[in-house]
Amino acid sequence: MVAIPETGGYGADHDDGKPGFFARWFYSTNHKDIGTLYLIFGIISGLIGGYLSFMMRLELMEPGFQYFANGHDFNVFASMHGLIMIFFMVMPAVIGGFGNWFVPIMIGAPDMAFPRMNNLSFWLLPVALICLLISFFVPGTAAGDGFGGGWVMYPPLSTSGSPGPAFDFIIIGLLAAGFSSIFGAINFITTILNMRAPGMTLHKMPLFAWSVLVTAFLLLLALPVLAASLFMLFTDRIDGGTGFFDPAMGGDPQMFQHLFWFFGHPEVYIMILPAFGIISHIVSTFSRKPIFGYLGMAYAMVAIGVVGFVVWAHHMYTVGMDVNLKAYFLAATLIIAVPTGVKIFSWLATMWGGSIRYTIPMQWALAFIFLFVIGGVTGVMLANAGVDAYLHDTYYVVAHFHYVLSMGAVFGIFAGFYYWFGKMSGIQYNKWLAAAHFWLFFIGVNVIFFPQHFLGYNGMQRRVADYPEAFELWNKVSSYGAIITLIGTGFFFLMLLEAFTIGRKTRRVGDNYWGDGATTLEWTLSSPPPFHQFNTLPRIEDTDEH
Amino acid sequence: MSANRKTLIILIAVAMAMLGLGFASDYLYDQFCKITGYGGTTRVAEENLSEVIDRKVTVKFDSNVASGLPWSFEPQDRELDVRLGASGLAYYTVENKSALPVTGIANFNVTPIKAAPYFIKTDCFCFEEQTLEPGQEMPLPVLFFIDPQLDEDERLDDVKEITLSYTFFVSDAAARKDGAATASRDSGN
Repeated sequence: MVAIPETGGYGADHDDGKPGFFARWFYSTNHKDIGTLYLIFGIISGLIGGYLSFMMRLELMEPGFQYFANGHDFNVFASMHGLIMIFFMVMPAVIGGFGNWFVPIMIGAPDMAFPRMNNLSFWLLPVALICLLISFFVPGTAAGDGFGGGWVMYPPLSTSGSPGPAFDFIIIGLLAAGFSSIFGAINFITTILNMRAPGMTLHKMPLFAWSVLVTAFLLLLALPVLAASLFMLFTDRIDGGTGFFDPAMGGDPQMFQHLFWFFGHPEVYIMILPAFGIISHIVSTFSRKPIFGYLGMAYAMVAIGVVGFVVWAHHMYTVGMDVNLKAYFLAATLIIAVPTGVKIFSWLATMWGGSIRYTIPMQWALAFIFLFVIGGVTGVMLANAGVDAYLHDTYYVVAHFHYVLSMGAVFGIFAGFYYWFGKMSGIQYNKWLAAAHFWLFFIGVNVIFFPQHFLGYNGMQRRVADYPEAFELWNKVSSYGAIITLIGTGFFFLMLLEAFTIGRKTRRVGDNYWGDGATTLEWTLSSPPPFHQFNTLPRIEDTDEH
Repeated sequence: MSANRKTLIILIAVAMAMLGLGFASDYLYDQFCKITGYGGTTRVAEENLSEVIDRKVTVKFDSNVASGLPWSFEPQDRELDVRLGASGLAYYTVENKSALPVTGIANFNVTPIKAAPYFIKTDCFCFEEQTLEPGQEMPLPVLFFIDPQLDEDERLDDVKEITLSYTFFVSDAAARKDGAATASRDSGN
């Protein structure tokens, strides 16, 4: 499928032009290095976000207050857990990390369209994270430091209800992170539209690149709306300022909800679409078959992206909307299940008749398909406005989105990590440590979140530090799941440690360590690839593969 | 200009357009609600030119005072029976119970929300700020009618009562700050 020129493999060696340490890592204009920075950043943020949720699960293990002084501190942990995991773990990992690493290579480009803006996008994130971390330690309300209004930041709680500077730090941090992603989106769109190698038409482009392209458009269109609403919150918070969301000044708190969820719903597709792309590559590689229905897969992602923009009010069914308006959003939300179903069935059809290899990445991918479907069907339940009147703001919703995120997006991240780890580092992971990570994490997250369905449909509300005793059993079970997950995560770090100490001596890998199932361009390069690749652009031959 | 530069400019323009739409949403929402009556926003008309029909609804009057506003605010009549298309006139009484002149402005809504597009006001105190001297009491009129087209809308066949609710807020920003400080002290924030 790819014509390899006679003059040696890609990235023919000469002085590879790597800058010195400081310039290389702080002034980087190299998409692979920036991808590595994003992945490291995502791991660190994941530890912070995970610590916050672990503390929450500890508190919720039993009724009463054990670890937190008051509800406010707990709510701060809950709010920050959400913001950090979304903006500083999942997005940097899939888009900044894997997107930067592999999109240019997969389309045969030497780097991203705007390498310096790429670096800006990365370095905005540590600044943003620092702003959010500072917010923990400055006054939020009279009840304590930090902001406890939920990751959704609804006014008036986030305006007159949080007078201290904590929320202002969060606004600034999120604006920085938002611009980081907007610039990244511009970079990806330009790269993918303009810099594909000769012969690489859009319809020959690998599905991960497609997923990043659609995601980038969602980022471009949705994030500015978040930026506007954050800015409006900011001016509302100023003494003698605006009243966009203040009825006393003719404003409406509900308008914030509309604006926020207009961003917020595409945001969840932003988190999952790249994972869909990763799963397509892994399922294809380890079934040793091309993906079933390539065009259907690509345009299903486009459809999910487009329809994802017109369903936002399904997060707002209980605000007092007209019944016919609810009916519209209900129908539109159900429609999204169709292209999503096309993808699930296409992955299954890819495996059917294939030669399956149960490698570690394939295990993560198979688990993804199963668990994402579970999360998806609870989403279909919640889409029904009548049912949602009961389930809104209960643990049923928490269970739903953790299935599609902690088991959808996160399993996609780990799947990609194990798939591409050898390519990025040149070292293959230790199978036993990786297997321990997989099984403990798989069991752990299911023990955490499955019982939360029961809590939800029995009426336990979310965002609470304490609950009636009747809910104790499943809360306890769920918290034990957190301990199992923690141990599983420990194996991930053991795997990393082993790889960079022992594995680097004994388990070096070559260009294509997965075999003939791996057909995209990154597998034609060395592991790790040279600092600069495709000085000579690869030429993509005409085949009937896509 | 390179292809990349062209694409960059287009994409930046798209991002800025979305940012602008975000900021414009305040105005757009207002207009959307006023025109469609969604969300319980009532309509406004210059005068009542409609034909009176036989169907009646009971219009109920509710009043609220936002914290920080030292006024009393009550409707003179709790309810009024009107036929669709006929003009109704209701009065609220408002009194400034403080020792300083205060300016207020009222926000309003109608339930059931689906009835709101048919509730049309021709004159209302809520269209303007009201300033009251200390101790001053004032009657505030609302002149309205209910569009007889309500009768043709099947969804509103079960509507027998419509409630008009007002909330008075402090209109002056400086006074609101003092009022809010008082209110938060009072409510133990």
